[in-house]
Amino acid sequence: MNAPVRIDLKDPSSFPSRRVEAWKYTDLYRWLRETPPASPEGAVEPGGPFAALGGEELTFVNGRCDGFAGIVAEGEGLTPVRLRFVSTAEGAGHQARVTIDVKPGASLTLLESYEGPARGYVSNISLDITVGEGARLTRVIVAEDAADAIGISQAHITLAHGATLHQSAFTAGGKLQRLETQVEHPGHGAFVRLDAAYALHDARHADLTSVVDHQGPDGRTSQLTKGVVHDTARGVFQGKIIVERGADGTDARMGHHALILSERGEIDAKPELIIYADDVQCAHGNTVGSLDQNALFYMQQRGIPFEEARALLTHAFLMEVVDRVEHEGAREVVREWLTARL
Amino acid sequence: MAAVQETIDAVAALEKYEHGFTSDIEQEFAPKGLNADIVRFISEKKCEPEWMLEWRLAAFERWQAMEEPTWASVKYEPIDYQDLYYYAAPKEKDGPKSLDEVDPELLAVYAKLGIPLKEQEVLAGVQGAPRVAVDAVFDSVSVVTTFKAELAKVGVIFMPISEALREHPELVRQYLGSVVPVSDNYFSALNSAVFSDGSFVYIPPGVRCPMELSTYFRINASQTGQFERTLIIADKGSYVSYLEGCTAPMRDENQLHAAVVEIIALDDAEVKYSTVQNWYPGDAEGKGGIYNFVTKRADCRGDRSKVSWTQVETGSAITWKYPSCLLKGEESSGEFYSIAITNGRQQADTGTKMVHLGKNSRSRIIAKAVSAGRSDSTYRGLVSVHPKATGVRNFTQCDSLLIGKECGSHTVPYIEARNGSAQLEHEATTTRLSEDQLFYAQQRGLSEEEAVALLVNGFVRDVLQELPMEFAVEAQKLVAISLEGSVG
Repeated sequence: MNAPVRIDLKDPSSFPSRRVEAWKYTDLYRWLRETPPASPEGAVEPGGPFAALGGEELTFVNGRCDGFAGIVAEGEGLTPVRLRFVSTAEGAGHQARVTIDVKPGASLTLLESYEGPARGYVSNISLDITVGEGARLTRVIVAEDAADAIGISQAHITLAHGATLHQSAFTAGGKLQRLETQVEHPGHGAFVRLDAAYALHDARHADLTSVVDHQGPDGRTSQLTKGVVHDTARGVFQGKIIVERGADGTDARMGHHALILSERGEIDAKPELIIYADDVQCAHGNTVGSLDQNALFYMQQRGIPFEEARALLTHAFLMEVVDRVEHEGAREVVREWLTARL
Repeated sequence: MAAVQETIDAVAALEKYEHGFTSDIEQEFAPKGLNADIVRFISEKKCEPEWMLEWRLAAFERWQAMEEPTWASVKYEPIDYQDLYYYAAPKEKDGPKSLDEVDPELLAVYAKLGIPLKEQEVLAGVQGAPRVAVDAVFDSVSVVTTFKAELAKVGVIFMPISEALREHPELVRQYLGSVVPVSDNYFSALNSAVFSDGSFVYIPPGVRCPMELSTYFRINASQTGQFERTLIIADKGSYVSYLEGCTAPMRDENQLHAAVVEIIALDDAEVKYSTVQNWYPGDAEGKGGIYNFVTKRADCRGDRSKVSWTQVETGSAITWKYPSCLLKGEESSGEFYSIAITNGRQQADTGTKMVHLGKNSRSRIIAKAVSAGRSDSTYRGLVSVHPKATGVRNFTQCDSLLIGKECGSHTVPYIEARNGSAQLEHEATTTRLSEDQLFYAQQRGLSEEEAVALLVNGFVRDVLQELPMEFAVEAQKLVAISLEGSVG
């Protein structure tokens, strides 16, 4: 029941409906019942949201990247790798499977973007990532699918002892969008930071799902997700922290906080703790609400118009996640990117 | 007075044999298995009106078409529904009983527990004892209901539901199944088809029920399913506090308990429902014990109505129970206070649903779970806010305490917010008993078990405070007993 659903666009029976518990709020079957026509090849100019940061660029256009055989990081990666997934095919579907291997002791900064200038596409990306002993992966994701497109990204990350994962995802959603992260956490000095922020407008949908499975003792996990929905947008957060038998000394914290800034916005949240060890510190907090009326009133009283006051407060609310991004360049790119979508 | 004395004796006799041992009371059984004829048999036995039989048969048909749910995180052998008795009633006269048959270990437990329910004192006429009206449900039928006449003076109706079906059919017909529809879930459909008794309460407008009402459930006969149905209607501006206690004998096989409780609160009404569930949990190896699959739901129909659920769940092999509130009225409020203690190989999947449909409705959830031994405990809860429900407030707190290396504790809260003015807060923590605190308490001369009991009682105090006083004392002792053998 808990095994993640692997979606294969060629096999419609793999499209989960809301009857599948892990896809309860993201009903893929409702929007996609048959294999979509295959996307043609395409070409795009180099660029993407992280273009200014340089580094190596790897671009998947409609699920294809010529000559790509996976990313292998060795040694201290001083320059980032920009991994772009671009959809240029209208009304068609494509999928790709990417493997990333961060060797023991190495470090990699992965700047990942999901871009969709086209309309009505279905993009299905899966990533298999391994982070070796003492290695470090910084993964910063920016995702914005078209308002009528379906975008799915599923990452399966396996960490070795002493590995570090810093992941921060930022999304503006799509018609139906899901960013899923499954982490195998071995404990033993490994550390996971799993952050996300979403800012959704119109009828967009974003689903941030994560499972962190602590399999050995003394693992640490810190997770913070924040989101804002406008109009009839729908934000979904499903975070599961598992502490398996024997994973004593685990320290896992999870927070999800969301604002609904319209009458018909929707937030569905399900933070789960599944715990089989007793010597643990686990906690989660989950809040959903609107902006603090007192703060709004105070700012208006000081001469700040309502709209501006609201924007300022929302901005401050989401930037907490941005501030946790350690890569300075990426942090500023994301700050600008997110601000433009508020 | 003879009749009263008889009633007192009858309940006193029941009480004496409570908990882990069987009463050798001659039983009248319906044949094993479940089919439409059994449903007819039960209905006939109860002299029910024709519409009730039809209602049951419709429920039975629905149930046959349904599948047993599997989503709860509990594991158990499949239940053979054809291998159960669906109706068992004690015969008029009690058979011979012998205390010698009782396991001395169990007797010791009762001695520690004290008198489990204060009613016994009441019935025995002890001066100064609290006044509680009791409805005792033994296997499938309600055996005695006390204080009926006195309650009737203020207009409160408190009687077995089978009797209410005869005496107040219009009330039962109007409300039965209006909160938990027949096809709500697998077990509620089963209950609707075969329920044989339970309690019925009606509090007229503006009446504050002068005493606590209480139902005491006991499964006695072996291989019997118990399906009771409780219906509580609090009319405008009324108040009632209702208590429920459960026990069952020790048996090797698992017994099924699938009850349905429906509460209706009209404008300004308030209902406080407290449960101390102490069904037999099975032995240390997980053999035997009660499957407690219960549907409890309150419908806060009226504006400013309030329903408060308080539960202390210490028994049952498997608990699967989500007392919920449909907050339809404006400014209605729902509360859920829960202590779930699991030990041995017990499994509990329990929580609540707060469905906010009315404007400015509020809810509060405090759930405390303590897992020990090889048990598993899950809090599963839903807070949902309808698009039209503005100004909703919810606060949820779930704390879990783990004692030992082989138990599990899980938290699965759902929040579904569809209104921008809602303020929902949820927090959950999972920890183990602090070694420093244990050490300190032991240093002061407490044994390890006493220290654990003390700390756990502190952990669950927020919820214990919500119980009516007589129950709180009992529950506190129960907490300590349930955890025996969990340390060291």
